[in-house]
Amino acid sequence: MTRPIRLLIVDDNEDILSTFYEFFNSMGYKVKTAVDGFAALKLLREKTQDFDCLITDLVMPNISGVGLISIVKKEYPDLKIIAMTGYGDQPGALASEARADVVLFKPVDLFEIEKKMTKLMNQGNPKKQE
Amino acid sequence: MTSTPLIGVSKSLLKIKELINHVANTCLNVLITGETGVGKEVVAQNLYKESPRTANNFVKINCAALPETLLESELYGYEKGAFTGAHKKRPGKFQAAHKGVLFLDEIGDMPLSLQSKMLHVLQSGEFSPLGSDQDFKTDVWVIAATNHDLEQRIKQKQFREDLFYRLNIIKIDIPPLRERKEDIPALIEYYYRLYKSEYPNNQGSKPDTDTMTKLCNYPWPGNVRQLQNCIKKQMVLDSWEKIFDEMPEETPHGSVPSVSVQSKSDPNRAANVHPDFANDQISLISEFVDLSTSSDKLFQDISLKKIKKKASDRVEKEVITFVLDKVGWNRSRAAKILKVSYKTLLYKMTEFDIDPPSK
Repeated sequence: MTRPIRLLIVDDNEDILSTFYEFFNSMGYKVKTAVDGFAALKLLREKTQDFDCLITDLVMPNISGVGLISIVKKEYPDLKIIAMTGYGDQPGALASEARADVVLFKPVDLFEIEKKMTKLMNQGNPKKQE
Repeated sequence: MTSTPLIGVSKSLLKIKELINHVANTCLNVLITGETGVGKEVVAQNLYKESPRTANNFVKINCAALPETLLESELYGYEKGAFTGAHKKRPGKFQAAHKGVLFLDEIGDMPLSLQSKMLHVLQSGEFSPLGSDQDFKTDVWVIAATNHDLEQRIKQKQFREDLFYRLNIIKIDIPPLRERKEDIPALIEYYYRLYKSEYPNNQGSKPDTDTMTKLCNYPWPGNVRQLQNCIKKQMVLDSWEKIFDEMPEETPHGSVPSVSVQSKSDPNRAANVHPDFANDQISLISEFVDLSTSSDKLFQDISLKKIKKKASDRVEKEVITFVLDKVGWNRSRAAKILKVSYKTLLYKMTEFDIDPPSK
């Protein structure tokens, strides 16, 4: 039996966050949310639950998305990362440099993200099946 | 290096401490923002202290304190003969901070040309000293601080957007003291003890309850630094009354002190000007045009050409005096820095009445 994919979604815009939550929840994903990079990092480091994929905004207070991606790639190398930005090219370029798996520019189509994520998860993540 | 701990119990300060604990081992670029005197350097030192780089150097440079060329040679160092006066090779701050921390204070004041060089170094991890064709690998943890709103400066084209995003990987914003009054008693206690231990013979008394309430309600425009100075003064004066007398008036923060323009004429002169800008605008204009005349006379007197000359003369005078002061009134050095001939400099000094300070 395949278990649901576990998502961590990070955005400082709560409207976006709840839209994403509703969408992925209704699609059968197990979703957690965080309002900035710092909240997300604390959630990851608490280790009370594991995640398969991180979807993060880039320009946020405290720890930016680029900062979060850099830390996550080092500490949780198996976690797939999708970055989204609405602030021109700079943050997107930095996210790629920090080795985000996918970088998308806002406004983003939720179905498009879902498609990209499914593709990412199928690219040989051995932990996907229980 | 002796470093100050972060003192306080407010929610915002506790969050900053927690953030420091979470990111100090990552050595990702940090941007610290906050008003003058809030303790941006203290936060930088705490990051360094908690990091794996603490055995190496913490090197600080103030980007606002030096003219452009000096700042560049301070940062990157120079080879012997790189410019007149470079008698021997000198390493820069990037070399001194290798494997440690480079604290770029007042980054918002860094000249644009140096911002692009800084961006290149942060991107490539390489730099070359002035006059050298060799690239050096650098491994520094860059922590930058500013009291400017950098996003505003980006809009004004005074700060590079790409450099901003590269520094702003971790952002620590320190709120002004008036927004975290709960921290005031703890800060007073800390500095009182510190100065008491430094000067055990001083008799300054601690604040009583009423004085403490007054101190907590004061808006502290100069933030923690101002509070520190007050306690230092108390150690010597031992009179809170005198200290309160000397404190700047409680003005709402950000308000510009109104400039009185000696107006003998039409009091409604500024009526068409947006009220927010009226004071600033008039005070600026009044520096170059005599506004105390009648409208007719005023319009006759205004000439863009004349004003331009006056304004540029004034800025030139300031800059020349500033550079001369920095180089100990060595005129040939100043001329080189200003990129004008020695003769031009002497001419300008006479024209603007610039004299060395009398000894």
